[in-house]
Amino acid sequence: MHMRTRRFLDRAFTSAACLAVGLMVLFLLFVLGPIFVKGAGAYVFMGTVEHRRMMLDQFDRGNEERVTAEWLDVQQARRPVYEALSAFEKELPGLPAARRKELKPAFKAVREGVAELLGPEPGEPLPALTRKMYGQTRWTKAQEKLKEIRFEESWDYSAGAGRKVLTSRQPLFDGTALAPLFPLLERDARKLLRPRLTFYPRFLTDVSIDAHFFGGIGPEVLGTMYLALGAMLIAVPLGIIAAIYFQEYAKEGPVMTFLRSCVNTLAGVPSIVFGLFGLAFFINTMHVSSGKSVLAGALTLALLVLPTVIRSSEEAIAAVPRAYKEGAMALGAGPWRTILTVILPAALPGILTGIVISMGRAAGETAPIIFTAAVSVGKMIGPTEIASQPTPALSWNLYNLCTEHEAVNEIRHVQFGMAATLVVIVLALNLVAILIRARVARRLKG
Amino acid sequence: MRVSLIVAGLVAGCAVAQAQNKLVLDGSTTVGPIAKAFAESYMRQNPGVNITVSESGSGNGAKALLNGTCDIANLSRDLKDTEKKAMEEKGLKPVAHVVAYDALPVIVHPSNKVKGLTIEQIRGIFTGTIKNWKEVGGVDQAIVVISRDTNSGTFESFKELVLGKDAKIIDSAEYTGSNGAVRQRVQMTKGAISYAGLGFVDKTVKALEINGVAPRAETVLNKTYPISRSLFMFTNGEPAADSLAAKFIGLSLTDKGREIIEEIGFVPVPAKK
Repeated sequence: MHMRTRRFLDRAFTSAACLAVGLMVLFLLFVLGPIFVKGAGAYVFMGTVEHRRMMLDQFDRGNEERVTAEWLDVQQARRPVYEALSAFEKELPGLPAARRKELKPAFKAVREGVAELLGPEPGEPLPALTRKMYGQTRWTKAQEKLKEIRFEESWDYSAGAGRKVLTSRQPLFDGTALAPLFPLLERDARKLLRPRLTFYPRFLTDVSIDAHFFGGIGPEVLGTMYLALGAMLIAVPLGIIAAIYFQEYAKEGPVMTFLRSCVNTLAGVPSIVFGLFGLAFFINTMHVSSGKSVLAGALTLALLVLPTVIRSSEEAIAAVPRAYKEGAMALGAGPWRTILTVILPAALPGILTGIVISMGRAAGETAPIIFTAAVSVGKMIGPTEIASQPTPALSWNLYNLCTEHEAVNEIRHVQFGMAATLVVIVLALNLVAILIRARVARRLKG
Repeated sequence: MRVSLIVAGLVAGCAVAQAQNKLVLDGSTTVGPIAKAFAESYMRQNPGVNITVSESGSGNGAKALLNGTCDIANLSRDLKDTEKKAMEEKGLKPVAHVVAYDALPVIVHPSNKVKGLTIEQIRGIFTGTIKNWKEVGGVDQAIVVISRDTNSGTFESFKELVLGKDAKIIDSAEYTGSNGAVRQRVQMTKGAISYAGLGFVDKTVKALEINGVAPRAETVLNKTYPISRSLFMFTNGEPAADSLAAKFIGLSLTDKGREIIEEIGFVPVPAKK
């Protein structure tokens, strides 16, 4: 009986643990899966001729001859579209008044839809914003626009709460010069846009064009790197020195207990508090820069990760066997020499793990850099400008593009691309931590 | 002596170069898209310049100007008296530049059958005397009031133009941090009502007619749409004519700048005739 209860409890625990692990894996797949799949869409997608044209114009990339030839072909294929539009425009004034009233707004919508799909009409002056100079550069987006041209979205309020109704526009234009446009768009969409599998690895390093409508996330990636590396450059020496002091020099007592609890409290402070502190202290009081800057952001992030670095270094140092230290002392090494040549090397794997994990945290944090370093739009900055210039950064700009941007729905691929890139950077840092740890541990053993 | 002069000259030279190739903008999320598009356009013509734009809200923009952490503060409202006073006490001379006009469309979920409201009805909804859409000709559904946060210039403008200075917004109102976030909340919430800058309203939300007038460029310019306002860029002192700030703000009065403002969806300041 006793044995059976025990076995039962044991099994119950094992299955609960398996369930927990399984749930965690499922959750990870559920969260990361879509991010990776959709994020990959920023790098690999069906690009239209508009994409290739944009790349040639804006980045001077691609085979100019081939793109020009293709563009001429496409213009040829698009001619019937524009012919239908202008024929209908001429026909419109001659139609009966009632019919005219009905068709005019619909025609306006169709014309605007075509401009969104294929870019400005030939002969029209070029728009001022780059986002309006080209048609849809991505095939999936083009298909959405195509649907918007062919179907009118309206709301039916007859049943009380409104219901979305999609009505085909084609019957409305039956018998007019615009009628051939709809089957043409449906049948020849591929000829009008020439979708082709496109690899765009330089999404990672390209600058953005016109508030992220085109181009890549280079300045954000660079900014994130600067901030994370900068934070570590500041936090690591301070953290390790503090840890050595706590472990090797300080005498236990009320002061130490107080200092320890300070470090622990610091670890529990919400990150937005660090952000506001960074603004008030580093920028408004210390004037480390005239406004937001990478330096101010890195200092703030350094404060944020400092407790983690101290704690992990402390634990790594405490885990070094006492015999190492005693051995070194017995051979006549002083405390400083013992720390430098015996204790630190032995504690290195643990310290490094803490550092790399903190770096992942610094790369992903948003709140501390809102007021100290991050801007919505800015250039890639050189290493000499980090003390004076602010920078875009992945975490903050992801938030910005998902909430504040004026055309959130048009740039979904950039948002997912950014999210996936950020997750990959953080995961890669963690992987590096594991590898370093394994390597150093092996070296120390051998 | 000579060395120190050279050093001083170098430092001064660097400082001037620094000041000339860098422009920092902070403030309103409504003015943000205009500032971002101007920055892009300007940097394309002048590749050596770095113009950065932050969108932290009008209130934070004013604070940044006060603290000297930005060159241009974007505000979707005028400076408050308290802000002006604080700046003057610090020896700053805030100068307003109107870059565009904006209507404040009142937006609802597109499934809402209400086509328009009067100013009084909107006031009633935001102060809590009207709580259900059926009271204003809609279906039987509770009204979800969504407002901008108190740091926002859009909030201040709306409050001043619609509710009156001392009005108190209903306690159950949701406060949201940016124009884009307002639009997203409204397009996801059936009973929602809110307001945002003209350039942020697309077909995923429905802009109501107010006193029978729809928010459009024409109705803003002929002042028939009752909730219209100016969008500002503030500088400390009038910027020198050849300075980066002056050239940047001056964009709003060029043809290209006007076109940019119009394409984003706001109303450019008309050319003087």
